[in-house]
Amino acid sequence: MNHVDIRVAPHEPWYKYGVAVLLFEIAVAIAVSGYSLYMTFNGLGGFPGKH
Amino acid sequence: MRGHKVEQLGIATVGFFWCFLMWFSTAAFSPSIAATYHLTIKDLGLLASSAIWMVPVGRIVAGWASDRFGAPRTFAAILAGCGLVSIASAFTTSYELLFAERVVVAIAGVSFVVGVQHVAQWFDAHEIGTAEGLYAGTGNVGAGVGALLLPRIFGTDYRSAFLWLGMIALVVAAWYLWRGSAAKTMERRDAVRRGGDLRGMVFVWTRYIAIALMLAYAMSFGLEIALNAWLPGYFTRGFHDEILALGFTGVAGIQIAAGTFAAVLSFNASLFRPFAGFMSDLFQRKGWTPLPFIAKELPYAPRLHWLGIALILIMLSMIGLTVAGLYGFLPLSIAVLVALGIFVSFGTGGTFALVPLLFPDCPGIAAGFIGGISTVGGIAYPLIFASVKAHVGYLYVTLYMFAPFILFYFWAARHERHPQEHGLLDRALAGQRS
Repeated sequence: MNHVDIRVAPHEPWYKYGVAVLLFEIAVAIAVSGYSLYMTFNGLGGFPGKH
Repeated sequence: MRGHKVEQLGIATVGFFWCFLMWFSTAAFSPSIAATYHLTIKDLGLLASSAIWMVPVGRIVAGWASDRFGAPRTFAAILAGCGLVSIASAFTTSYELLFAERVVVAIAGVSFVVGVQHVAQWFDAHEIGTAEGLYAGTGNVGAGVGALLLPRIFGTDYRSAFLWLGMIALVVAAWYLWRGSAAKTMERRDAVRRGGDLRGMVFVWTRYIAIALMLAYAMSFGLEIALNAWLPGYFTRGFHDEILALGFTGVAGIQIAAGTFAAVLSFNASLFRPFAGFMSDLFQRKGWTPLPFIAKELPYAPRLHWLGIALILIMLSMIGLTVAGLYGFLPLSIAVLVALGIFVSFGTGGTFALVPLLFPDCPGIAAGFIGGISTVGGIAYPLIFASVKAHVGYLYVTLYMFAPFILFYFWAARHERHPQEHGLLDRALAGQRS
């Protein structure tokens, strides 16, 4: 483990793609949660795959 | 050492994803297995619980093995072993043998700590949170994908599913061996190999900060697996009339609604985990140390503060679940549950953004201890939930377990220099070279 002062360590190119992936995963989580809760509170079904 | 760190992150993530898929594939097909062998509810409960039997001890052994033999060999052995037994289970006609084989396949769940060690060996301190979060969060999705897709692809034909899962596991194992590399540099690999002995294990197990992180992970991941098992039954009993009022009828309808509420927690806990690692990196980059008592001068002090905030948020959410339940207000209970899922991810992501930094010479042993023992929470919390009235179980767990865990965390993380020096045994007695 390299102990560098990370307050000045620049991010490497992979990092922005990593952040893009995590933002995509958050968007999926919000979309699926919102959809399934909407369906449930309207008595229409539940989580995808649980029908 | 050969390879690029993003490739190593990709290999570890795919390997972990596939292991999680195999780990939870038994649960995905439990109705089909029950129908084939005419299982009772009790048999089904035993089959479901068997998935975590091997995890506490298995993770300890796997963490040590990854330090000693390198993550690629250890991960490939887990994938190949579990894959072969999964293939064998596809041809089994006796339920007793099938049960035993699926317990062995569930060993795939121990692979988590091997990947943590692998990623820690390739990524530097300033990006470890995001890297570990992407590995663990994306890999965890394997459980959800299994629940969603496996029954749709294979229908009730669980034998074909087990066969394909096993065969692809063998392919992933071969890929891991071919392209996987244990560490970024030989120096790092050698340092970890030297630390991966019995002395290293005694040292880690007796450190107060390791115990504090283990309890933090028990408050987050341990709670997550406990709630996965507990929540469907809780909503069915605790909000029976409210769910009927939504328009659901019959046992199957109530089961769908209750299962949906439970799944939202687990889904958020998995998919927000990379964000939690990113936040740990951000705290570190900005130097934020807002909490009292916890060290402020350590090189990774802001990460300790981020985890402390996560633990407090988990505790407040648990109290919120009790309050919402006592008022019988279903929408509030679900809103708190969504928040709890996100806060749980903060706890899991925050913990493993710290482990490789605190124990750089034995990250596998540390990950095995913290990731293994903490899963006992998955068994302990439901027992407490079940022993009191429906809604107050969360409050009991919070007051009698989580509050002391947090106080211990604050106490163990207060040292401004080398918190890992402090433990039940002094450094020499713990067998560590000074």
